[in-house]
Amino acid sequence: MNPIIKEDHLHLWLAKIKIICLKMFGRRASQLLRELASCEPGQLTAYNTDTFEQVIKECNEHNLQLQSLIRKIEDANLDIQTTRNEDHFGAVIHHLSLARNKRGLMSYMYNRAEIIQSLRWTIGPVLPLEIQEKLNYSEEEYYKNHSTAIEAYMSQLDLDLTVDMVPPKDPYIRVKVLDDIGEVCLGEHTISLTPQSLHFIKRVDAEPFILQGLMEEFLE
Amino acid sequence: MERGEAAKRRGGGGGGHGGKKRCRSSEEGVEEREGGAGDPALRGWPSSEGREQIQLLEETLDEFTENRSDDLVVSLYQMDLDRALFLLRSYLRIRLQKIENYMVHISKTNLWNRLSEQEQRFAKRCIEIMEKHLEQSVLSRLPYGYQSMLKQSISSEEDDMVPEPQLDTFVFCKTKSDVGAFQLDDTGEEIVDLVADDLYVLRYKSIRGLVDGGRIDLV
Amino acid sequence: MAGQSNPHLSIFSAPEVEFLAEDEVVEIVPNIKMDAVNMICGDFGPFFPQIATKVPLWLAVALKKRGKCSIRPPEWMFVERLTHVLEAERESPREFQPLPFHYVEMSKLLLDNAHEDIPDIYMVRSLIEDIRDVRFHKVETGLETISGRTHAVKLKNLSAMEVNIVRPFMVRALQAFYKHDSPEMIQQPESTVNRRAQVVDRGPRNIFVTVTGLNMILSVVAKSRDAFVVNNASFGAAAAAVSTTVMNCSL
Repeated sequence: MNPIIKEDHLHLWLAKIKIICLKMFGRRASQLLRELASCEPGQLTAYNTDTFEQVIKECNEHNLQLQSLIRKIEDANLDIQTTRNEDHFGAVIHHLSLARNKRGLMSYMYNRAEIIQSLRWTIGPVLPLEIQEKLNYSEEEYYKNHSTAIEAYMSQLDLDLTVDMVPPKDPYIRVKVLDDIGEVCLGEHTISLTPQSLHFIKRVDAEPFILQGLMEEFLE
Repeated sequence: MERGEAAKRRGGGGGGHGGKKRCRSSEEGVEEREGGAGDPALRGWPSSEGREQIQLLEETLDEFTENRSDDLVVSLYQMDLDRALFLLRSYLRIRLQKIENYMVHISKTNLWNRLSEQEQRFAKRCIEIMEKHLEQSVLSRLPYGYQSMLKQSISSEEDDMVPEPQLDTFVFCKTKSDVGAFQLDDTGEEIVDLVADDLYVLRYKSIRGLVDGGRIDLV
Repeated sequence: MAGQSNPHLSIFSAPEVEFLAEDEVVEIVPNIKMDAVNMICGDFGPFFPQIATKVPLWLAVALKKRGKCSIRPPEWMFVERLTHVLEAERESPREFQPLPFHYVEMSKLLLDNAHEDIPDIYMVRSLIEDIRDVRFHKVETGLETISGRTHAVKLKNLSAMEVNIVRPFMVRALQAFYKHDSPEMIQQPESTVNRRAQVVDRGPRNIFVTVTGLNMILSVVAKSRDAFVVNNASFGAAAAAVSTTVMNCSL
């Protein structure tokens, strides 16, 4: 070790280098994560193949550098555990950058997987095309497999958990007719839905009319 | 025959044993569910009654639609069943979501024993599926030494890549009875007097014992 | 339930809070004769005309909608009592008056469904709105008093809906303060360094806090629960998170 540089200063200097390097090296991986973060919660962006592949490539480059630095230390017949020369610190930086990139890639995939699996609850077993297009091959497979696992669980229990997502309400509802709907057959009896009339009918029967603006729920 | 029994439990104004028992386990459901939402960890499977309860609910449903004597009574029972089923489903869903999010962590800790048999099976499958997915999209493409799902690299001494629930968080809770002076941190500097039926926001870590012991409810 | 509506914040949706309130017990006066009902949520009745009995709110509302009973408003829902509560709320800026945990939802359900059973209904409605406003305002100003190293917050008499509103902000603010005040925060480099790296890390510790500071964006992704992104918490991220919640809160 160079005796002119005091040890404290060396550490400080190395730390600064480390900051700069990590920032530089980790940039692409952090881009992936920034993409995730900029999304509304629960929403997916298109799988970013380009950046993802570049980060994978970066990882392998770091590894090549790391290996060659370790070889250099070994070739100089230095003890790998105790040597603290520039090759050692270089190797450390490559190792940390690689691990950092790995965390980035895993976070990216894992967070996406979490969103993807939540879609099973909100959308159903088949994803619409516009979402499928945002997934890579493995993610599509993940979705299918995960759905199957949920279905297996539900069939063991003999209980569908994908229904009943909002609290139940009274199956009957009091409504006020807004427009002349006329005679309507509901279940076993026919009722006359004249404007301004009040009725107590099944919610499921009323909903289509409410959606069309022909009736409204009547609250005093 | 079971159907007949269900009918017996229903019929007669006396309110049989069956009704009481189910009433209690439904309350348990409420508690678990209410707490379940605010509870960062996973609580124990309340009882094996879950499955039995579903069956009873369905039987009763059938029974009432078959001999619908009084529309009013039928619709009231229907609402009661809808509410109970919703509770049960919500409760089971929240548990599944906790499993989905922290499957590896759960499988490595004693939380595993808090899962029902079906949940354990579900968790195992989830782990396999996630492992396969991460394996083929990331891990297999990384250099040797960096391919573990659980460790950042070969030189990590312990599993340092397992997502864990954030237990070091604050929760809203209600005291059931007087707890008295309670120490909140390790150093003993922070002591709070927990009075019955009061609402507090406290660190989950410090009151975990009280939650497990049933002295405090999460809301 | 909460898990579905927002798995990350453990927040209840308004219909979910209302669902919970519907289990509160109220008194009804039936106008029909009906056998007792043995329900999963309990046994109620038998019902006789003009004889008051207690049932859960959902059952009361269902019977009311079908014209089978009148509902007796709970004692706190009368003008005199509410006026008193409102005055007391205004007088004590740091305290909340005792009201049922579900007073907001209960009064909404009763005002919507049992119109003719509530005396002075317009007055009652407006008093409850005023009480709500005063209390919400107190909740907001109360949040300003949270500071570093807050271990416990006591919220005597806060209601369900109010809890629901402050929950996301409160939890995140407390977490942020706690984290940045804790010794670990200052002492913690990336937890994952290997043996070689640890030797390097023997340098001045505080520098590594700066390292984490640069990676604010990572902690936003991590939402502080994803161990894939470890220990990249930064004050900036927490501050950003807090200020977003403040905005949501005051809306």
